[in-house]
Amino acid sequence: MIKRRQHIIVLVSIALVLLSMTLLDKKSINKNTFTCLTTQENFVAGNPITIEFKGFFKNKPQLFVIHSFGKTLLDGVLKNEKIYFNLPKNYTLKTGNVSWFLIENKKKKAKGNFKILPNNETKTKLESYLGPPSTLAGDNHFVMFVTIPTDDYDNPKPPNTNVSIKHHFLNAIFTDNEKTKDFIAWKNIYAPKKSGIVLISASCNEALTQEFDAVIYPSIAKDFTISYKRNHEFADGNQITKLTTSILKDKFGNTVSDGTMVTFVIKNKENAILKTFGTTIEGIATGQILHPEKENKFIVKAFVNGICKSNVIEIAYKSINPTVEFLFSKDNRTITVGSIKSFMNQIVPDGIKVNLNIYHKDSLVETITKNSNKGKAEFYLSTEFYKEKSYHFEIETLGKTIKTKEINVIDQQ
Amino acid sequence: MSLINNKNSYRVLLITSFIALNVLVLFGISSILTYLNKGADRSTMLHLDKETINTYLPKVTWKSLKNPGRKMENQTLSTIEKHYLFSWHIKNNVLKTNTNEGINDYFTENYRKILDTIISINKEKKISIESTTLTHNPILNFYSEDGQLVVFTDENVVEFQNIYQDKKLITSIKDTASYKIMMLLEDGFWRIRHCERMTKVVDTVKVSTVKKIFTVKKNQILKNNKPFIIKGINYYPKNLAWDMYGDLFNLDTIATDFDIITKAKLNTIRIFVPYEDFGKAEVKAEKITKLKQVLALAETKKLAVIVTLFDFYGDYSVNNWTLTQRHAETVVSSCKNFANIVSWDIKNEPDLDFESRGIQNVKPWLSEMIEVVKKAAPNHLVTIGYSTIKSGEILKDEVDFISYHYYEDIFQFKNKLAILEKTTNKPLVLQEFGMSSNQGFWSWFGNTKKNQADYHKEMQAIFKEKQLAFVSWTLYDFPKVPNGVAGKWPWIKNKQKQFGFIDSEGRQKPSFLYITY
Repeated sequence: MIKRRQHIIVLVSIALVLLSMTLLDKKSINKNTFTCLTTQENFVAGNPITIEFKGFFKNKPQLFVIHSFGKTLLDGVLKNEKIYFNLPKNYTLKTGNVSWFLIENKKKKAKGNFKILPNNETKTKLESYLGPPSTLAGDNHFVMFVTIPTDDYDNPKPPNTNVSIKHHFLNAIFTDNEKTKDFIAWKNIYAPKKSGIVLISASCNEALTQEFDAVIYPSIAKDFTISYKRNHEFADGNQITKLTTSILKDKFGNTVSDGTMVTFVIKNKENAILKTFGTTIEGIATGQILHPEKENKFIVKAFVNGICKSNVIEIAYKSINPTVEFLFSKDNRTITVGSIKSFMNQIVPDGIKVNLNIYHKDSLVETITKNSNKGKAEFYLSTEFYKEKSYHFEIETLGKTIKTKEINVIDQQ
Repeated sequence: MSLINNKNSYRVLLITSFIALNVLVLFGISSILTYLNKGADRSTMLHLDKETINTYLPKVTWKSLKNPGRKMENQTLSTIEKHYLFSWHIKNNVLKTNTNEGINDYFTENYRKILDTIISINKEKKISIESTTLTHNPILNFYSEDGQLVVFTDENVVEFQNIYQDKKLITSIKDTASYKIMMLLEDGFWRIRHCERMTKVVDTVKVSTVKKIFTVKKNQILKNNKPFIIKGINYYPKNLAWDMYGDLFNLDTIATDFDIITKAKLNTIRIFVPYEDFGKAEVKAEKITKLKQVLALAETKKLAVIVTLFDFYGDYSVNNWTLTQRHAETVVSSCKNFANIVSWDIKNEPDLDFESRGIQNVKPWLSEMIEVVKKAAPNHLVTIGYSTIKSGEILKDEVDFISYHYYEDIFQFKNKLAILEKTTNKPLVLQEFGMSSNQGFWSWFGNTKKNQADYHKEMQAIFKEKQLAFVSWTLYDFPKVPNGVAGKWPWIKNKQKQFGFIDSEGRQKPSFLYITY
């Protein structure tokens, strides 16, 4: 009896275990029957995308999607134990990997992802950038041309899309076929040795870019020579000597860009530095200097700052050796210098500097400077300042010095 | 009567009123003139650069800057990084609020068009997504010669989001993906031109070979491979409760206290790092120096330390996660060389914030923070100090050992502990327990110092029997407790003041005898 009872207990317990296992199994199947029916992994942008699930849904599940551009929660359409989720149109237009998460009753039930690829059937668009827009000739200088081919929905084309980049210079057309990588196809266009304009354009499928101009400027100038031109060699303080450069060229023989600044540095006999400037027009820069007022020697050298230099030239100015007359008034208080006559015995031009040094007992009292007017300069010694009776004078003009005798100044009162 | 009819009095009245009127007019004119002459506030004359507060600081690690185009300059790189992160911040905000605020600055026109449609769909369906990105690993692909265009691949961007519909939480999702980004420099802003999401890149897992002093083996904490039972105490200096690193910070006081602790045969202290006081995301160097001094002092006194982070923090909102992560990273990595740190305690009693701050914010915040701390100091253990023994199960697989606090009835302790012990085989540490000896004016039926001593005696007996790790609350009675800790009601505050083994005058209370077993 006891044995039988034991058998029954064992059998019943085995049966119970089996039953509970099958029941448990069923339950777990019910719980996990969320199978994604959509096996397609790649979609093309612009086409409708539907993700389909099969299963036993207690609550209405939702699908959370993360897309390149944003995130959203989708409500599905239930139909015969299946549920469909339609990706909104704005999401289907843009490429990238989309992750989805099936959520039921606040819990994540399944996840997966699919890819939206650019649509090659649509019109190709080509966005392009040229930078820098200009460069110098030769020497591995270059401009960079970057193109971004996209489909009609503004999605970058897949890698290895062909883009042909053309450039034109001096009747020669070059074509390069580049493949896209990291959204872009690009090319460095190296500057030719000649200055000018390189025209650049690109095409991808039927899409064309407009024409881009890359300006190739001449490279930096090489050393050059200078020369001078003047009307006469006299130091008359009036005429102008013109300093002229040779045509400034870069090492490839291109005339430098107009407006290149040339500095002429002049050293005179007294070691003072004078400067004059000129900018190039068609490679030539001109600087001007006024003739000195007395005999001098100018040493001239020109520079393009920090870039190149010229040879050194010497310009000598002869004294004009003027004839200078002078006249004292009755009271000896007004001294009229003039007429000052130049090398052809002509009256000097206006504005020639005349110095009057006034000495009293061999010590310098004052130097008065006046400019000549019609070849004359007038000096007045006022009674307030020149109280002493006796002075002697030195008249300096155009490099000539005339000393007067001791002169007694009369007090008018 | 003669006074009234007197002509003179009329005269006086007239003259004084005339003078008074003149004074008033002059005063009026002069105040107008002074107002006109004052000029504008000088500081408003200049368009001074506005100080920007860091709002979004995910971890960004540039893997490579090699590219076939122009060499990347550091200055430009930092601008690109800043604007790129701003673009994420703006996008997160857009998805949260469904407004297009700020998108003009960081997205090009074509991108904005799509973003606008996304906003309108989500707005219509009342979907709000609170999201953040935690790590970015960009690799530079291309930088154009004119410095106006850049392409890079941001590998394995970790995104976390809480999804709400109709203000109800739908779920939380964490996902990792890579992004290929093209940005253009337009009027001073780097704007996103193209963005393509890609599958994540498989990470090469580095096997950490750091030497650990403290390790965990089954349900034991080991120190240099020998069992180490934490017998510790929560520590604040007597007069600096909850404000240890302020102006009154005094290393000598702390040294004396540490001597008391070692003499009492305790081997561990638990200290706290306040989040705001330490400077939030931009941790103040002087605070770190003070913390390091305390740790070094503990090391010389042979005390192990549990450092609790994020004291007085309670925000957890997803858009601020990156700031808290940078805080933890700075604090933890600057202290990673201390061999006496048993563990970093992520947050004190975070389970109390589940309801007010949303469990969907707090729990993943903790989980992410564990990762950040482990990465910053792989040689230290990590735990979370929960307010009750029941909460100990939360994230039990992610912490190295489980910490819980116990302020309930003593007779239930063993049973409750047994339940927790069943759920895990990780070490358990009773990280806070104690009793306030607060009988007095504010609490007539409170416990006496004798009751407190009895309580500790009983607890220590249980610990001894089961060889349990404990950290008691607390060494001192505090003369002052800030309102932020226990509110402003004096009866509650008063209770909080008297949990110590030593009273506020420095005398040992009867409970001091039962400070350890």
